[in-house]
Amino acid sequence: MNYPRPTPALAIHDLRKSYGDLHALRGVTFCLERGERLAFLGPNGAGKTTLIRCLAGLTRADHGEIHLGGKPLKSVEARKHLGFVPQEIALYRDLTTRQNMVAFGRFYGLRRSELRNRLDWALQWTGLGERADDLVGTFSGGMQRRVNLACGVMHAPQILLLDEPTVGVDPQSRQRIFTMLDELSESGTSILLTTHHLDEAEERSDRIVILDQGQVVADGSIEALVKQSVGTQRWVRLRIDRPLTAPLRVGAAADAALIGTTGEDRISTRIDDVSTHLLGLIELVRRRGYGIVDVQVEAPSLHHVFLHLTGYELRD
Amino acid sequence: MILTVMQISCRRLLHNRVELLLTFIVPIAFFSIFAVIFGGGLGRGTTPKIKVVTVDEVDSVVSRLIMSALKKQESLRFVREEESSQLSRSEAQELVRNGTATMAIVLCKEADQLAAQLLADASDQVASQVVSAVVNRSIMLSEAEYQVSQLGVSDASESGDQQNIAATNVGNDPDAEMLGIEESLSRKVEIVDVMGEGKANPVVSMYASGIAVMFLLFGATGGGGALLEERENQTLDRLLSTQMSMDQLLLGKWFYMTAVGVLQVGVMFLWAQLVFNVDLVGHLDGFLMMTVVTALAASGFGLFLATLCKTRGQLNGLSVILILTMSALGGSMVPRYLMSDQLQQYGLWTFNAWALDGYTKVFWRELPVDALAPQLAVLLFSGVAFLLAARTLAVRWESD
Repeated sequence: MNYPRPTPALAIHDLRKSYGDLHALRGVTFCLERGERLAFLGPNGAGKTTLIRCLAGLTRADHGEIHLGGKPLKSVEARKHLGFVPQEIALYRDLTTRQNMVAFGRFYGLRRSELRNRLDWALQWTGLGERADDLVGTFSGGMQRRVNLACGVMHAPQILLLDEPTVGVDPQSRQRIFTMLDELSESGTSILLTTHHLDEAEERSDRIVILDQGQVVADGSIEALVKQSVGTQRWVRLRIDRPLTAPLRVGAAADAALIGTTGEDRISTRIDDVSTHLLGLIELVRRRGYGIVDVQVEAPSLHHVFLHLTGYELRD
Repeated sequence: MILTVMQISCRRLLHNRVELLLTFIVPIAFFSIFAVIFGGGLGRGTTPKIKVVTVDEVDSVVSRLIMSALKKQESLRFVREEESSQLSRSEAQELVRNGTATMAIVLCKEADQLAAQLLADASDQVASQVVSAVVNRSIMLSEAEYQVSQLGVSDASESGDQQNIAATNVGNDPDAEMLGIEESLSRKVEIVDVMGEGKANPVVSMYASGIAVMFLLFGATGGGGALLEERENQTLDRLLSTQMSMDQLLLGKWFYMTAVGVLQVGVMFLWAQLVFNVDLVGHLDGFLMMTVVTALAASGFGLFLATLCKTRGQLNGLSVILILTMSALGGSMVPRYLMSDQLQQYGLWTFNAWALDGYTKVFWRELPVDALAPQLAVLLFSGVAFLLAARTLAVRWESD
């Protein structure tokens, strides 16, 4: 039996944008499902900000389509369901928390009891109820970030766009912000965030899209990306008690490989299966008369995927 | 260390165009403006002329000679010249009261003496002195000319030259009774203030409005600067991603800045009433009309400048230059009647001149509000035009 596929919360198809000779977006296509947390990664100049601005309706794409909940972005109805939190603290710092929240609530079209309810919710959600009547300008960076976030969701959007939501905040505040985002996600809000913190993306998102030079170069879960790009092999690093006198031969004669470098006390290699191959490697080294000082096994991470796909060159 | 601090400061200055402008160009610009106003640099040869109307109640040979002499004076500009012969004293007075003329020169008879009354608008403190001197001089020269001609008549009469007698037509001349050397010396030129009875010093209301308009402009550009701040910290992006449009944002700011401007000028005039006896309450209707349109125009100007600039620093530099220039040319700093005709014409391109003219009509001339129509129309049109220009420029912020 075939069930109709639900309309994605956000669908972007063949989005293109150029500034003169600079092609910021070259046909970006991806979807954000309802309730999904999608991390958007890319080196500097990859086109992330342009894409976010297009999604927020602040930049007009040269070509392509954006649909929010099945409706074109230009539709006023569609934009009611979009929340946008810019990278900067885009607040009125000379107003209080409550005044900022009320102002943005009104800008999003909330009135009277609905606004009151959302204000109470936002103050509780951010944990700033006791600081509701304090000027935002007197807050720490982390607290300002929380108010910044709350002002973008006063209207309970179905989709939330976050541009680097944790820039410049301490680990405790980051944790708090992600707890807040988890609550939103659990309530069904789809979240698209850009970040440079790969660990954040790895831990806090359901799916990752990597953008490079205006194009999507990877799209999927972390496991899928790892498998597609760097594979599932583990890196093993051994530190031995003295420098190698010659590289070590590993494997059968027909497909033997040499590992290690003469004169160095470290050996690195990749193995497919930790449970069998790691013990064999250790045994080999010991048989050759070397003592093992330290062993490190590293699974491929988003960091490896990112560098593998986008390269090691600086993009500044 | 000290040298390094100096080097860094110098390099930063060279990289900051606004600061360079404010440090080196603005002082020169202001010096030039005031040099032009007071030194007659620009518009040389167009020294300020005083607008006068004349009334000849005597209508004698001497009075006509005086009128003729006055018309040759370069410091006077005759308005309604074609109607001059038919003007009555009261009509002339009305022309002074409504600002068409700065002064009415009325030649009359007082105690059988030829006298001149100068119906003056005391708000122009220079005109009375200048016109008084000019009229005195013209009377004396005309009398002397007449007496010389009289001597000629006597000679002709003695020599039987009947033609000369007919030409001078003094057979029944009233001047003969009024003239005499001793009377000439005590000839009376009286200045009659037809505007200022019982009013506060005209300079007070003029400066109240002048300073108010100047600070209205500063306030408006400050308010416009908030828009640039919002853009710089991405609040503008955020606002535009909500259901608010740029139209609503600009209109909201325009009305807010206008309301603050009205309040600002209102407080200033209230202070002027309490401390300097400017009659605000008695002119509330005209004051409100002028203040609302002036504030609308200034707010539109502030938004226009803000949308024209890229940064707050640019706006600060540009607004200081423009506002001080407009204030200098428009009469907020120096009364426009001190400027040459040409500079007075340039002044009409500023808000300040139109606003000050309007406030003068309200507080000094006490004209009915329909007399404010030109000022209201120009200021309102300017406000709307600047707002539309700001809206056009702001398109680039909406969707790049």
